[in-house]
Amino acid sequence: MDFLAEAVVAFLIVVGSIFGLVGSYGLAKLPDTMMRLHAPTKATTLGVGSILIASMAYFLFYENLFSVHELLITLFLFIAAPLTANVIAKAHLHENQVDPKQLPAPEPQASGQTPGWSTFDPEAERQDVR
Amino acid sequence: MSLVLIALLPFIGAILPALMIRAGRNACALTAGSVTLTSLILLLSYAPAVFGGEVIQARFEWLPGLGLNANFFLDGLGFFFALLILGIGLLIIVYARFYLSKQDPMGLFYVYLLLFQGAMVGITLSDNILLLLIFWELTSLSSFLLIGYWKHLPEGRQGARMALMVTGSGGMAMIAGMLILGNIAGSYDLTVILQSGEAIKASPLYLPALLLILGGAFTKSAQFPFHFWLPHAMAAPTPVSAYLHSATMVKAGVFLMARMWPALAGTPEWFYIVATAGLVTMIVGAWISIFKDDLKGLLAFSTVSQLGLMTMLLGFGTPMAALAAVFHILNHATFKAALFMTAGIVDHEVGTRDAKRLGGLVTLMPITATIAMIAAASSAGLPLFNGFLSKEMMLYEASHTYYLGQEWILPVLATVGAVFSVAYSARYAIHVFLGKERHDYPSHPHDPPFGMWAPAGLLVVLVVAIGLLPQAIAGPLVQVASNAVTNGTAPVVDIKIWHGVNAALIMSMIALALGLLLLWRYGTFVALRQRFPRPEAKDIFDRLVDRTAAAATFVTDGLQNGSLQRYLATMVATMILVGAAGFFGGSHGAGTRATLPISPLGLIGWLLLVAACLTLVFFHHRRLLTLILVGVIGLIVSLGFFYFAAPDLALTQISVEVVTVILLLLALNFLPKQTPVAEFAPRRWRDAVLAGLAGLGVAGLTLAITTRDFFAGSISEFHLANSYPGGGGTNVVNVILVDFRGFDTYGEIIVLGIAALAIFALLESSLHGKASKRLANWVPETARAFDSHPLLLVVASRALLPFALLVGIFIFLRGHNEPGGGFIAGLVVSIALIIQYMASGFQWAHARVRVDYHAVIGLGVLVAGLTGVAAWIAERPFLTSDFTYVSLPVVGTFEVATAMAFDVGVFLTVVGAVMLALANLSRIGRLAETGGGSHPIASQH
Repeated sequence: MDFLAEAVVAFLIVVGSIFGLVGSYGLAKLPDTMMRLHAPTKATTLGVGSILIASMAYFLFYENLFSVHELLITLFLFIAAPLTANVIAKAHLHENQVDPKQLPAPEPQASGQTPGWSTFDPEAERQDVR
Repeated sequence: MSLVLIALLPFIGAILPALMIRAGRNACALTAGSVTLTSLILLLSYAPAVFGGEVIQARFEWLPGLGLNANFFLDGLGFFFALLILGIGLLIIVYARFYLSKQDPMGLFYVYLLLFQGAMVGITLSDNILLLLIFWELTSLSSFLLIGYWKHLPEGRQGARMALMVTGSGGMAMIAGMLILGNIAGSYDLTVILQSGEAIKASPLYLPALLLILGGAFTKSAQFPFHFWLPHAMAAPTPVSAYLHSATMVKAGVFLMARMWPALAGTPEWFYIVATAGLVTMIVGAWISIFKDDLKGLLAFSTVSQLGLMTMLLGFGTPMAALAAVFHILNHATFKAALFMTAGIVDHEVGTRDAKRLGGLVTLMPITATIAMIAAASSAGLPLFNGFLSKEMMLYEASHTYYLGQEWILPVLATVGAVFSVAYSARYAIHVFLGKERHDYPSHPHDPPFGMWAPAGLLVVLVVAIGLLPQAIAGPLVQVASNAVTNGTAPVVDIKIWHGVNAALIMSMIALALGLLLLWRYGTFVALRQRFPRPEAKDIFDRLVDRTAAAATFVTDGLQNGSLQRYLATMVATMILVGAAGFFGGSHGAGTRATLPISPLGLIGWLLLVAACLTLVFFHHRRLLTLILVGVIGLIVSLGFFYFAAPDLALTQISVEVVTVILLLLALNFLPKQTPVAEFAPRRWRDAVLAGLAGLGVAGLTLAITTRDFFAGSISEFHLANSYPGGGGTNVVNVILVDFRGFDTYGEIIVLGIAALAIFALLESSLHGKASKRLANWVPETARAFDSHPLLLVVASRALLPFALLVGIFIFLRGHNEPGGGFIAGLVVSIALIIQYMASGFQWAHARVRVDYHAVIGLGVLVAGLTGVAAWIAERPFLTSDFTYVSLPVVGTFEVATAMAFDVGVFLTVVGAVMLALANLSRIGRLAETGGGSHPIASQH
């Protein structure tokens, strides 16, 4: 039992660490922002998730305690990580650091302005609503 | 107790006229009068004791550690002055009722008057020189209000400001002098100081103390060269002039010299400073007075001259001269108040007080003319009036006082002064009331109503009565007062009208003859005077004030030119200098406590911190990057707290860090994204050197503190031991914050609230006026995304709000026993709310937050304060905490501490302060982005 518990906890920690390492390596090595975004988002989701499960397992096996903190942390992370990635991606597109030719042409805007990619025109939206 | 009431009643009663004005002007005046009358009756109830030679005392400890006690005493001199102040005050109240017009706010007038009266009586009754100083400054302040009573007149405002500045700065000097005096005597109690005259005069600090105290007395009593404020104070309504310049304000300086007479007088320094100042003032004031066409100006300079006379007599330093001074104070108060009142009546009824436009009023207003001429006769020193008696005494004293070893100087100069005083008094009587009746008066002069001339009439009755029966009427009063002045060495008072032909009488007669001659040849003297340049005191004073203001502006502008860099440089340089002075001024050695070995984890954290700091220095001109790095550093620091087992601090640090970064991001929105590189190389070096030195200093300080034990042992043990039994919480940090040092925290949340309000005020001003136009026309540096509120962010932030609030409440509730507490919870909740503002926009969020953040701040401080006050109900000191255990079904047993309520206050203040600052930054952003209209950022989802 003890060995099994130890093995489970250790395995989860190691898995989490490997994802963390890979994520960090990717963050440093990948060539541009869009690609780089992938590394940390995946690393947090999987790596930190794994370590949180390890923590739960530890408390369950050794302290006989069902800990819910980790679930909450996971919840927050699952909301925060994709959000952050989304906002960074939008900011990146907005800053126009991507070659525009690589992107499909933005949709025509009702206001007559030509915005960048991945942004939306409130005027158009309002007309849609109407 | 009733002794204290004499001084305090006018203060307490000052509120009444303001209330009673609604019941009409008569009721208002009646109330003010009855307050003064009550004080006067209280004072008179002590008359038998005072005349019996007793000194009545009332002592209260106020701040005994400072030597400041509310000690009052009543001796002959105090009684004499208080009688003048209250008695003439009563007459002035009656007179003012009829003098003030319907447009004048009469309630306010009586409020000021009573405040002033209380302060004056306070001066005369104080038995503690510090208390006396307080009353002294109060007279400066309340006389400022009185002189500037006609706020719509620029002369009134300027005159009031000048009076405040001159008497106020004199008061400052006097504070210093009194402190020296108290130090020499070893006590601030007057009764002690007056007994230690010998020690004071022998002290090496005697001269500085004397000069400083005389600085206060001379400015107050308008002695040359500080005489110039008094004529400008004439812009006040006449009742004020009559009161301030006959019996009260300017007599305060004379009173002080009389009061300090036993302690300070009798030395050559005293004689030459005081007597000379008095003599010069007497002659100069009288000379100017002759040529003043404005009746009040004439009387003002005559007052200056008469004050000079009293000062000179006190300066002689002999008991007989002091007695003469006391007698003259009484006489001057009576005839000068009457003169001012008649001047006011003339002004009121005729419509002008320009002597050139007046004349022949005796047939038109016989009563006023009679009063004025009797008072003027007394002022001139005509026999059978009281002014004659005291002036004779003055001349007699002058005639046998040696000045610079010469016998003739004083008598001659005193006679010159007397000649001038005859001239101006005669001019007042003759040029205004005698002569041909004119027909070009601005209005139709006639005698005023009874109430207006009666006070002046009563005073001239006294003038005549004292003049005819001096010994019977004034003798005892002068006797007790001069006994008090001279510490009991005054000769027995025996005032006679006829002394036989002596030097004084001859001088008096010469003065009378020459004075009338001067007036007869008035035109010649006016022409003579025109030939000489006359320095205008007001111009000189204004220039002096301007220069001082310019110098102050120069220094201020040099230090505060609006450049934050310069402020920082100044502050850091000052810190370095002070620190270096402390460091190199003392002895020091290396710390003795062993250092802890560094762990790999700690090392990594340290390296990260150093790397982040270095990166920040290199990239500091890229502000967004700097901000991110600041966040990184903050995170590492909070990890450091965690590493050293301070989870509370770590939590606080993280939440503060988040709030700071958001705040700076919002502010950075409106600032350049790049710091301009300093073009001036020496400045860069200056900054580098300053920063380097300061950093080294802080590092060294930290090392020094951490490598040695505290000098007197750490207080930590006490807190650890008492946290649970004393404060009912196991989280020592929280118990310290809300309990052991709750008062500190209380102060801090107030500061926090004030800071938030200041941010609000600063930002609010940018929503109006020029700044708002600049904001509305603001062109952002970078292109704006059309997507102000990304859908994902909006949805997620709204979904997260309840969780975030839950976390806040959780952290708050566990705070007393585990890491957390009101401060952190407040920050967490604020962050949760800010996210709503950021994600969904100001308008959306603002429409849904229906609380006023100002009110939240106030509520927080109130809750914390009330928690503290609640301890009083249990008869414990402010903020004493208590706790108990409560059992509830389902929830179980839990602890309830009063500190929890206090923590709620902290929580509310933090939330209010943070939200007020951040919400207002968003408001500015909204104005800038939309130009005030409703545009994307304002659109609703």
